[in-house]
Formats: sequence, C-alpha cells, structure tokens
Amino acid sequence: MKLTPRTHFWIDLLIRLVVGGVFITAGAMKIGEPLQFGDKIASFEILPNSLVNLLALGLPVFEMLCGLLLIAAWLRRPAALAISIISGIFLIAIVTALARGLTIDCGCFGTGTPTRARMWLDLARDTGLFLAVVIAYLYPAIKAPHAPESEARILSERAAT
Amino acid sequence: MKLSYIGRDLIGVVGLAIISLAAGLIINHAGPHPIPLVHQSPSERLQGELTRLVAAPPFESFPVETVGLDEFRPAVESKDDLILDARSSSFYLKGHVPGAINLARDEFARDYVRLRSSLEKSKEAPIVVYCSGGDCHDSKMVAQALTSLGYSQVKVFTGGWDAWTAAGLPTERGEPAGK
Repeated sequence: MKLTPRTHFWIDLLIRLVVGGVFITAGAMKIGEPLQFGDKIASFEILPNSLVNLLALGLPVFEMLCGLLLIAAWLRRPAALAISIISGIFLIAIVTALARGLTIDCGCFGTGTPTRARMWLDLARDTGLFLAVVIAYLYPAIKAPHAPESEARILSERAAT
Repeated sequence: MKLSYIGRDLIGVVGLAIISLAAGLIINHAGPHPIPLVHQSPSERLQGELTRLVAAPPFESFPVETVGLDEFRPAVESKDDLILDARSSSFYLKGHVPGAINLARDEFARDYVRLRSSLEKSKEAPIVVYCSGGDCHDSKMVAQALTSLGYSQVKVFTGGWDAWTAAGLPTERGEPAGK
C-alpha cells in the first residue's frame, strides 16, 4: 500500500494525537494516587516490592512526558519507541495475568472495579494502541533531521545553488 | 523502515525514563503524602496504621459477617446502624452512601483518631462497612481492625459502592452534613 504524503501526514498526526492523548490522560489520572497505583502494580504479582513503588512514581510522569513529546513531535522517535515499549510491556502483563487466571484492575486509568470482561477490553485497547504507535515509530510522516532522504535533499539543494 | 535508528532512539528512551523517575521521586518527596520507596501490601499498611493507635492489638485476618443489599438498604434508611466507607477520601468525597462516615483503610489511624469520640459510642452498636465492591478488600480489613479494637457488631456490605449505585439508590457528595 502506497500512501500519498498528504494522507500519510494526516494518519500520522491522528495516531500521535490519539495515542499521545491517551497516555497523557492515563498518566494524569494516576500521578496523584501513587499508593493505589502501587497496589495495582503489585496485584500483577510480577515485580518485587522494592521496585513496585519506584514504578508507581516514575511511570505516570513517563507516560505524560512521552505523550506530550509524541504530540509535539519533538524527540518524537524516542517518545514513540518509549510508548511502543511500555504498551508492549502492558500487553505482556495483561496477557500473563489473564493466563494465570488473575482478576485484577489493570490500573491503566486510575482505579476501577476488576472484572475479567474489563481485562479483555483492556487487552483489546492496548493492542490497538501498541500497533498504532509502532506504525507511528516505524513510518514517521515528519522526517527526522537525520533521515537519509532529507540529507540527500539538502545536499542536492546545496548543489543546485 | 529505518531500524538502524533503534539503538540511538533507545538511548533517548533511557534518558526519558531517568528524567521521569527523577521527576516522580521529587514530586513524591515534595507532595503532602509521600509514599515509602518500598511497596507494602494494604494489610501491612493497615498493621502499621493500627500500631500507631495506642495499645492496639496486632491485626489479624479472620472471617467477618457479611450482609447483602436487602439488609444494607434498610440499615442505611433507618439510620440505626453506623455506616462506614473504607475507601480513600478522594473516592468518598466524589460520592458515598447517605449518612456514611469515611474510615479509610489507607488512613485508618488518622481517621480513627479523628472519629474516635463518635465511634467509641458505637462499640456495642451495629456497624456496617463497605468499599468499592467487586473484589475490594478494604471493607473486610477495616471491619477486622475494628473488631480487634473491641467493636462487637461489625459487618461488611460486600456489594459495596458498585452495588449501591447499580441499584440506582440515592447518594451523597462531599463532607458529611453536620460534622
């Protein structure tokens, strides 16, 4: 499938706004309640207690920072990669929790009542976010400054003048 | 696809993560309720809260009597029983069962000391505790803590806030009236 640069630009912008918006919201909803978020992380029974609260304190800031950078398209490549990695980790965490028969609240957006049905919804949403942000990372519409194409263009423009 | 940039971008990811962790730690340290850096389970925290109360016996986990909505609703409407909300105050302020008093599991010692004079009148009186519902354990833990402090008629409404609101029953917001 070959997209026109214009279509590509709009798709890329839409992904960045939606994914960035979701991560800013998710971070903002958890940043004021690290104690409750720590309990949610602990309920996955993956991390040792010594790391749970560090993650509960750092992750909301990380989500908001990367969401902002992704939307602002500043440091967008590291931001998109960071969101790809953390949404990939969320996916693994939810899949393993489902596989282990745990009924927990993912804690993605503050706190809620845990049900198995909601966990499947979380899984579907995270899969969508993960795929979207991986696309935004691998196929950026705005060329990074070090992309070979733009360097080649600058060189050819210089040669022409 | 420019996979050759991944290494470089990964360094950026690590940088963003370090900045975020540092910012998170600073926000926690400067905030009004800093959390400890090592996680404690809710029951460990309640144990810590209980030991802050004078002469509190050790927190023990034991079965508590439960009630359903059919018993809880008349208890709320008659105002005969003391209704306690075990959720954290941010949830309590957003909405709670009419007449319920907030005795948050996470702020047990603080809330207990604040409510002590009115609570201790109910040592022999029926008390019903609820939390959000579903799998929440806060109501059970608060009921156990109260029982170990000598309250004799503590029960748990297992349906909690979810069952109350799902039944379309009236709710109250903010601080309790007249407190």
